[in-house]
Amino acid sequence: MGFGDIGYVSKDGTDEDGFFVGQAVAHLTASLDDSFGVFAEISLTAKDSEYSIEAERLMVKYDFSDRFKVSAGRYHTPIGYWNTAFHHGAWLQTTIIRPLIVKFGSELVPIHFVGILLEGSLPSGNLGLSYKAGFGNGRHANIARAGDAGDINGDKAWLLRLSSKPKKMFGLEFGLSYYADEVSLPASPNVDENTIAAYAVWTKESPELIFEYIHSEHELVTDSNASGDVDAWYGQIGYRLPGKYSQWKPYARIEKTDVDSSDPLLGAEGLDYDAGILGVRWDFNPYAAIKAEYRNEEFANGGRENNFALQISFVLAKL
Amino acid sequence: MLLCFVMPQVLYGTDSPVVPSPIAIVVHKGTGIEDLSLDDLRRIFLADQQFWSDRTRITLLVRAPQSDERDFVLNRIYQMTEPQFRQYWIAKMFRSEVPRGPKIVFSTNMTVELVVAIPGSISFIRADEVSDNIQVVRIDGKLPSDAGYPLK
Repeated sequence: MGFGDIGYVSKDGTDEDGFFVGQAVAHLTASLDDSFGVFAEISLTAKDSEYSIEAERLMVKYDFSDRFKVSAGRYHTPIGYWNTAFHHGAWLQTTIIRPLIVKFGSELVPIHFVGILLEGSLPSGNLGLSYKAGFGNGRHANIARAGDAGDINGDKAWLLRLSSKPKKMFGLEFGLSYYADEVSLPASPNVDENTIAAYAVWTKESPELIFEYIHSEHELVTDSNASGDVDAWYGQIGYRLPGKYSQWKPYARIEKTDVDSSDPLLGAEGLDYDAGILGVRWDFNPYAAIKAEYRNEEFANGGRENNFALQISFVLAKL
Repeated sequence: MLLCFVMPQVLYGTDSPVVPSPIAIVVHKGTGIEDLSLDDLRRIFLADQQFWSDRTRITLLVRAPQSDERDFVLNRIYQMTEPQFRQYWIAKMFRSEVPRGPKIVFSTNMTVELVVAIPGSISFIRADEVSDNIQVVRIDGKLPSDAGYPLK
């Protein structure tokens, strides 16, 4: 299986218009027996003068039962919803771009996590509860990256996510997650990071609703007065049109990110952000879609931008 | 090429399918399963439940596209259109939530043969095509011949 996308972006007031090759993603999986499997997601990303290759996810997994599955490797961190719902499959997500919270390369939350993950369902009747619990390396000194080659300090990161798919409300899913780590920076004291995230989604397409919120607290280990918070959220709505127009799906999203200037980890990064997007997706083929998207974005340091983007995204799959 | 076998104009048809007989849910006899709620059946078909209580992995067999039985199950159990069903399973596999997608079967005979042969398997056929070598599952306590059976 694989995913890919090609697009065109026009930005007002700049000469940065142009075509772009998004990511080409290969999904490799092998079941070594009925319970033991290996999984990898490898991406090829266009850079200014080269392509970069990355093992976005690479894990071995053993399923004991629905209640208990264990895996080890590199993951998209199960914080919130989007980061583990769509991964690098542009075709899977309704919109062209991801919300800023979970943008690839984002510093707001650790997008990747290297360690072990326990997951499964919980005995909860109609609530349909499930859990994920992880323990592993925290962020790298380059805080946009995971500690792929080991943890850079002695304090491991850990996380817990509880989610629910109520049996009587098919389509609804909501969840809470918590992530804790101590982050080491090159030229300053370590920073305690605690993040809580909540989400609620309605996965049916008429309508599709996604709401996600994160709150992070960062505090210098050596000085509890040196602290700051991050609050970020987005809400997205899409609607698959009925009948003969059902290949079309208009959508909209608003998002907002506030970072305290006193935040010792992210305060100087200029991550405040407001955005509204409007778009439409056309599924002209079972395995490909064209999306057109208008964005109005306000950045902390860059003023306000109006962008228009087109993208064709596809999946290589056989089902 | 795999993209060619479905015509775009039929991608998102949502008309309710008509089947001349109720759809029976059938399992391998070794599962010991005789009764499921419709909610639990949906969880199994969605792969939100992947093991039977004895920890045998569930193998889901689904008819190939353009069969009345498949259209009925997509409409009534999955509550999805054909493209939504495909996207659901592609996403499920891409998230590594399942080791593989459903096994595709091309006829009732093939369905029955595989349900008999594969421990832990579950599938669906027309109720008037059920044979003695597979177990028909009551849904919400009802057999396909009962009034109020939910898969009619």
